[in-house]
Amino acid sequence: MKISVVLLSLSLVLLGAAAPAAAAGEKLRLGYLRSDLHHLAAWVGIEKGFFRDEGLDVETAGIFNAGAEEMSAFASKSIDVGYLGMAPSVTGVANRAASVKAEALANAEGSAIVVRADSPLHQVKDLAGKTVAIPGFASVQDFLLRRALEAAGLEAGAVKIIVVKPPEMITALEASQIDAFIAWEPHASKAVTKGVGRVLLPSSQIWKGHPCCVVAFEGSVAHDRPAVVQSFLKAHARATAFILANTDEAVRIGVQYTGMDEKTVRMALGNITYRSELERAPVREYASYLGRLGYIKETDPDAILRDYIDPAGLVKDARP
Amino acid sequence: MSGRRWHFLLQLAPLAAVALLWEALSTAGIVPENRLPPPTRVLGGLADLVSRGLPPGSHLFGHCIASLRRVLGGVAAALAAGIPLGLMMGWSGRLRSLVNPFVEILRPIPPLAWVPIAILWLGIGDSSAVFIIFLGAFFPILLNTVAGVLSIERGLVEAAVILGASKRDLFLKVLAPGALPAIITGVRIAVGVGWMTVVAAEFTGVKSGYGLGYMIMTARDIQRADQIVAGMFVIGLIGFGMDALIRAAERRLLRWR
Repeated sequence: MKISVVLLSLSLVLLGAAAPAAAAGEKLRLGYLRSDLHHLAAWVGIEKGFFRDEGLDVETAGIFNAGAEEMSAFASKSIDVGYLGMAPSVTGVANRAASVKAEALANAEGSAIVVRADSPLHQVKDLAGKTVAIPGFASVQDFLLRRALEAAGLEAGAVKIIVVKPPEMITALEASQIDAFIAWEPHASKAVTKGVGRVLLPSSQIWKGHPCCVVAFEGSVAHDRPAVVQSFLKAHARATAFILANTDEAVRIGVQYTGMDEKTVRMALGNITYRSELERAPVREYASYLGRLGYIKETDPDAILRDYIDPAGLVKDARP
Repeated sequence: MSGRRWHFLLQLAPLAAVALLWEALSTAGIVPENRLPPPTRVLGGLADLVSRGLPPGSHLFGHCIASLRRVLGGVAAALAAGIPLGLMMGWSGRLRSLVNPFVEILRPIPPLAWVPIAILWLGIGDSSAVFIIFLGAFFPILLNTVAGVLSIERGLVEAAVILGASKRDLFLKVLAPGALPAIITGVRIAVGVGWMTVVAAEFTGVKSGYGLGYMIMTARDIQRADQIVAGMFVIGLIGFGMDALIRAAERRLLRWR
């Protein structure tokens, strides 16, 4: 008799405890890249409570060193939504590493080719016979570099392309082990503010308006929770608009999340275009480049895009 | 079938069984392909690594040679530094007490922890990779050499001294041969550690664009799990081959036992 009373009260207490938690908001596990200023909208959304306002309880479940790592997290369903490069996400989807759906753009442009501050190189043409570092094969920077070389009339083989991870790029440049590198912000600006490097060409001049990072959802989340996806996209659009209208506050949040100094962050922000509409044509171009260079086996870019960009058609209803 | 061939096949049987089970689990969908590709996909990935190369144009053979060169360089440096120092430390208790504190502090630091410093000091070329491998290979060789010397029967050493052996003869004809079995054990460990270290040391980037660690990192970047596993398999195979060579050399060198 006494035991049943205890059990009954225990279950009532547990029910009572559970109820308010459900009302606190839809849980969503977020991933982004370490110190990648392209993902500023995610940080603004968290700091300014934009996700909370849409009824979302966004928890940072992972901070990654590379897009490929984030794709592994998607594959193991450890994150529900992530900010990551279009490049690793398209490559992963094409190579069937994970099921991921891109629903919005996080940023466009925001990379640069950097040479030593005292270097005699002034144009892309001058890179012939030199060693240039990229952050990884099949990255957007890899594609941008090859496009820049093509535009300057150089063959891909005219330049020695090696992979160096961005934290090591500035040291390698300073020690003259490489003659140039191409990387995403804030690494390009950091090289400049440290006095080590000079921007040879910003990526906006290689491919105007090129997409860089996207907001992507794990396949089952995009399929099973469309309302949550749309709420997140509303908050993301609001955060993007906030960055454009409040530079100082955006810089402050950028400094907070990257740990870099204000001068570097401010300079980097000037090179990044924050926009949330994802266009298909540039992504298609990138997908055919992947196939041409042998990084993926799938040779039909349209098939990839159908599965990758907003397959459920959620975006047109999500304007704030 | 001859006895030896049958024995060899028997040794392969468990490996074949595991491979078949793995393939079956994958085909049945129990193990998703994106998490662990089945052996057939891995073999396909290996074929790609050999024919097209990864990054495209850099073939598997070139990567193997580059990594092997770095390991051999690091192990050779470790032998050149470790054996003489080990022989002397085995001989002199005073030297042992002097050097031991440094050894005991540096030894537990994993070679990989040195990667950022190595790159800062030596850059992204071969020298930083060789340095890291040296760090991993040095301590097993040093400690095994010391232990080898200490394990020589005191009687043998005393007899050599009484019979008027010079210092040089003592080291070359008594201590070194006496410590040889232990030294070879040290070399086996050192090569194993060096091989494991080179792959991770190459992860951060290499100037020449060749190396098995570099190749696997590229496979990771483009998310080709089949090529990652194929690369791992090649690394395991080469490691096994190097160890087999050392064991064969050991049998010949220690024939006098």
